[in-house]
Amino acid sequence: MDVMTSVQVENLTYAYEKGSYALKDINLKICKGEMIAFTGKNGSGKTTLAKHLNGLLKPTSGRVFINGLDTTGKTVSFLAQQVGYVFQNPDHQIFNDTVYEEVAFGPKNQGLTGKDLEQRVLNALQVVGLETYGSTYPYKLSKGQRQRVALASVLAMDSDILVLDEPTTGLDYKESQQVMELVAGLHQKGRTIIFITHDMNLVARYAERMIVMANGEVIADGRPRDIFAQPKTIKSGSLKVPVVTLLAERGGFTSRTVLDEEEFIHDIYQYKRRMSLNVLCS
Amino acid sequence: MDIFIRLNDLSFQYSNSTEYALKGINFLLKQGEFIVVTGPSGAGKTTLTYCLNGVIPHFQRGSMCGQIFLGEHQTKDLSTARIATRVGSVFQDPEAQLICAKVEEEIAYGPENLGVSPKEIASRIDEALKLIGIEELRERSTKALSGGQKQRVAIAAALAMKPSCLVLDEPTSELDPVGTTQILELLGKLNREQKITVVLVEQKLEEVMEYATRLVIMDKGQIALDGPPAEVFDKANTLTGIGVKLPQIVSLFSKLGMKGKIPLSLPEADDMIKEFIRGETYGRYDFRTG
Repeated sequence: MDVMTSVQVENLTYAYEKGSYALKDINLKICKGEMIAFTGKNGSGKTTLAKHLNGLLKPTSGRVFINGLDTTGKTVSFLAQQVGYVFQNPDHQIFNDTVYEEVAFGPKNQGLTGKDLEQRVLNALQVVGLETYGSTYPYKLSKGQRQRVALASVLAMDSDILVLDEPTTGLDYKESQQVMELVAGLHQKGRTIIFITHDMNLVARYAERMIVMANGEVIADGRPRDIFAQPKTIKSGSLKVPVVTLLAERGGFTSRTVLDEEEFIHDIYQYKRRMSLNVLCS
Repeated sequence: MDIFIRLNDLSFQYSNSTEYALKGINFLLKQGEFIVVTGPSGAGKTTLTYCLNGVIPHFQRGSMCGQIFLGEHQTKDLSTARIATRVGSVFQDPEAQLICAKVEEEIAYGPENLGVSPKEIASRIDEALKLIGIEELRERSTKALSGGQKQRVAIAAALAMKPSCLVLDEPTSELDPVGTTQILELLGKLNREQKITVVLVEQKLEEVMEYATRLVIMDKGQIALDGPPAEVFDKANTLTGIGVKLPQIVSLFSKLGMKGKIPLSLPEADDMIKEFIRGETYGRYDFRTG
């Protein structure tokens, strides 16, 4: 395996119990520094796959490599240093009495103490904009703020792969934007980002690559622009492409698959211009 | 239309809070409306639903000023059982609101507590399951259902009380797009065919636009905007300022300079796009800079 590979999944199968497969023969390679979205309807296997990346689940058969290391036989606490995992519901991971203690928990377990520990925690809190909330009881905060506490506690582990399970669920628009911009910033700094989402506008905006899962299998893997152009995949994945993508396709004024409003507006004006030039020249 | 619920200059402060969650709300809910309530977190949306379904003043600790009328009576003078027969509630977390082991027991739970006769309960179970289209779930364990199925069972259980109004607090937030569409279509149908009044707190405005007869935007404990969706969406700047995400279709058409004309469905949008391409009037393109 080359050094540019963050995650390599080989023939991964996972069965909850005999005969009921949550994942079937998954093969996937994610490169260092990629930002990739896992999509598909509830129960399609997105979270089950993601939980294999930090050892919360172990393959029934097949193998998962993180930074070249086979996860089999590795403890979750060891893997947590490689892969930070932010749960869909922040309340499933927050258990300390103060925001500071919550964020310090991971790096403490890594053996950090004193000034180093303090620095790590303060940095993480600063990144998520909660530096003044260190002594606050986490459940006094809003859900969006708790989501950021959960993110900070994962950031404090300084892992270079981040997995976020529906990071914007239950947040309002501003909170969602804050969280996603934060994550995009980490991606800019070279982190590998894997996020699970149902929101194709987020995928269009932030993901370089997406996989579509259905019934425990990866049914598509590619750029959002290419996958949005495949009606069959969209249907089998129970996805909903952005309204602008749909309207542009129905409008027939552009040959490309439009991802956002800016592209839509650009293309429709260009078409209008071409049309009026045709009129002038004829 | 008859007035169903009336909030008179209503303020509420939670007992553990230093600020008012609602500040002098005046709100009329009429029979047959489909109201969507939205706004940033902390705006008072959930507190508003508590005022409609009797949680305030009956269960939630805090101080209330103003009056809540359900029909002729103030809700403080009505028993919660009485309120529950007129206003049904569905909450955000599908896990948290199902209490019984089996689906049919869940639906029977409310009417049983009211002392409804077994025969009548049996017929209400049939009716609710049929209305929601989940007859096949009748014998199933509530634990084994998907999130979308759980929310439909919760709606069926609320309907078994024969309310004329449903109040739902972000019932789709944990659901995927397919589950979300199913719930919203169902609410649209209940409103249209059964004349059930719907108050729906929702962040997913894009999906809910075609069903809403009225859109209420809350901000900082007050009602900031209130009116038919097309009118409210026309105030794009105000909405963005409050932190409400415009449905993509709305923001697209306002960027194309088609203010005051907002399509609420895809076919309508298709026509407007054709018109835009043909038209000279909208957004005249500047050849020098374009």
